Amino acid sequence: MSQVEVFNGNLAAAHAARLSRPEVIAAYPITPQTPVVEYLTQFHADGLLDCQMTEAESEHGAMSILSGASLTGVRCYTATSSQGLALMYEPYFRASTLRLPIVMNIVNREMISPQTVWGGPQDSLTLRDAGWIQLYVEDNQEILDTTIQAFKIAEHPEVLLPVNVCYDGFYLSHMSERVELPTLAEVDGFLPPYSSRHIILDPDHPMAVDPLTNGRLLMGYRRKHMEAQAAALRVIEQVDSEYSDRFGRSWGGLVGEYCAQDADYLMISLGSVCGALRECVDEFRSRGLRVGLLKIRSLRPFPRERVIRALDGKKGFGVIDRNVSFGTNTGILYQEIRAALYSASKRYPAAAFIGGLGGEDLTLEIVERAIDATMASVDAGEVAEAATWLIRPEKRGNS
Amino acid sequence: MTLIDKLANREDLISPGISACVGCNVELTLRTVLKILGPNTVLAVPPGCMGGVGVVGWDKKAGAKIPVFFPLLDNVASMLAGIRLGFNARGRDAHVVAFAGDGATVDAGFQALSGAAERGDRILYICYDNEGYMNTGYQRSSSTSKGSWTSTTPVSREGKGGKAQHRKDFPLIMALHDLPYVATASPAFIPDLVRKVERAMEVRDGLAYIHIYNPCPTGWSFKAEDSIAISRLSVKSRFFPLWESRGRKLTITVREQRPVPVADYVAKIGKFRHLGPEGIAELQALTDERYRYLEAMEKSGAGGDGTGA
Repeated sequence: MSQVEVFNGNLAAAHAARLSRPEVIAAYPITPQTPVVEYLTQFHADGLLDCQMTEAESEHGAMSILSGASLTGVRCYTATSSQGLALMYEPYFRASTLRLPIVMNIVNREMISPQTVWGGPQDSLTLRDAGWIQLYVEDNQEILDTTIQAFKIAEHPEVLLPVNVCYDGFYLSHMSERVELPTLAEVDGFLPPYSSRHIILDPDHPMAVDPLTNGRLLMGYRRKHMEAQAAALRVIEQVDSEYSDRFGRSWGGLVGEYCAQDADYLMISLGSVCGALRECVDEFRSRGLRVGLLKIRSLRPFPRERVIRALDGKKGFGVIDRNVSFGTNTGILYQEIRAALYSASKRYPAAAFIGGLGGEDLTLEIVERAIDATMASVDAGEVAEAATWLIRPEKRGNS
Repeated sequence: MTLIDKLANREDLISPGISACVGCNVELTLRTVLKILGPNTVLAVPPGCMGGVGVVGWDKKAGAKIPVFFPLLDNVASMLAGIRLGFNARGRDAHVVAFAGDGATVDAGFQALSGAAERGDRILYICYDNEGYMNTGYQRSSSTSKGSWTSTTPVSREGKGGKAQHRKDFPLIMALHDLPYVATASPAFIPDLVRKVERAMEVRDGLAYIHIYNPCPTGWSFKAEDSIAISRLSVKSRFFPLWESRGRKLTITVREQRPVPVADYVAKIGKFRHLGPEGIAELQALTDERYRYLEAMEKSGAGGDGTGA
């Protein structure tokens, strides 16, 4: 029987990792991910986590150690944030192109400069084309459930790709919420042990991993990698439904929807700001305004068809990005949604917003303002070519 | 089994036909080392000469008869540490071995190597040091000797230039991690090299490190047939002394009581052609100073095995 606990996001992630029985964990601490490493090393010290645990000398080292371990066919886990992710970019890209089903939580933190430690998914969104599956979650229960699911998605024979489960630094990582904690036996029933058949370093079965490869062969590998991402579209939904059957919680698979079916105006975002959006949707609905929420859970693979379906019959939409895409005047999610809708039957009016960078609060008031602005520009039939910045009024005496 | 028997009878685990330069003593070193290690080995060969000549492989052809892979230039020791952990997790054992150039070791990969050394990861790390990035036409590394011409430390028409700094004393840096086994070796002293590999293979309690000095005919500009003779001179001049250490107990394994002048070694190598007497004197002074330091360490080695016991 699962237990009801009060966990911050990092503890939820650590428990999810523990319950998934990783065989090798290598990690390097970085704010705001640090407690994940502390919790896991404590579980290990207390005999609650039977695995090979090692303290890397950097994030580059952590991902490299896991890449080596995964090449021997064992289940691997780590977590990181922002600058740490940037430092591990080299082995990060390679973990996906070597098709190593590593699971890594990314505790989203803004990228410097200027110097910052606070939340924002710029770190992982910037790496969306590095071949990993990237899932974004909204609360601590979803962190736990999705991290467990991530191993099953990663190790699925048609996928065999590493998976990130990304959650907001501080807003989730350091905030406590009610979380239902399944038992180890329950998770064992859901997640069988991993055994690698596609790539292995084993003296009994010698394999040359990554010889120098000509462009034609390399293109074959890239194509299969793309096919694996496409297969993941189906597998992510399957795994969500299987998890829901066992544990009674579905998060919607590729996307989450709230009051979306009959909505006229659809607000789209990812991560914890979807919590504020839900509150605001209720507020607008109470005034008889048909606003709904589309939460993008899977950024890679990108759920193009589900986005098109979700928008069917809507007047238009607004996207709140907590990140920037330099050179486009908008955020990354807005770019993704617009690209997906190119094959839709209708050209939707759309509003774009950038806010909540560097941990800046997206208050209910600010989000309501964004919804008001979305409704106005959709009614006017406008398609935003530049984002509106959601910034709090400056306090007196504050620079 | 005598050394000759071993080297004659054991299987060559590197594929025939790899494309190393004529006179390459790194190829000889690799084939020798792997005969000693045997087939229960996982081999990491990062970008560098041995990767470039096909030891990992080309397209669908493998370059070795054992599990072999390209780590990144800068994560050789980390990937091997992970392989060891994976084997530990499944109760398996094998030699987990790096065969990496000096660029991957003393420059880009130093952080990973130092981290693995400090953690005590059980891997055998072999560095083949040819004083630079030879595979791409000889760019300088922090292992390049002072005065060397390289493609990134060129020599002017007036004969001025070459690398401005002395090379890192890298094997000593590794020894000062208090490792269970560190050694230097040379392709001109095969019995010494083989004995050191065998000792490194026995290490169970941490990282074993062997630094092999491999003069490069192509990059340094000397005759292919002088490949071993020049390697020998590097030891006989004490320019690259052969020693081994356990913790801080250091022993010089090949003693040259009457060392040949460094000038005799340098004279045969094209990359030093522009050096005048002052430049050569500097290399001699460095050689003498580093050797004195080694002797002092050897004498004081009564100090302990680095465990603090």
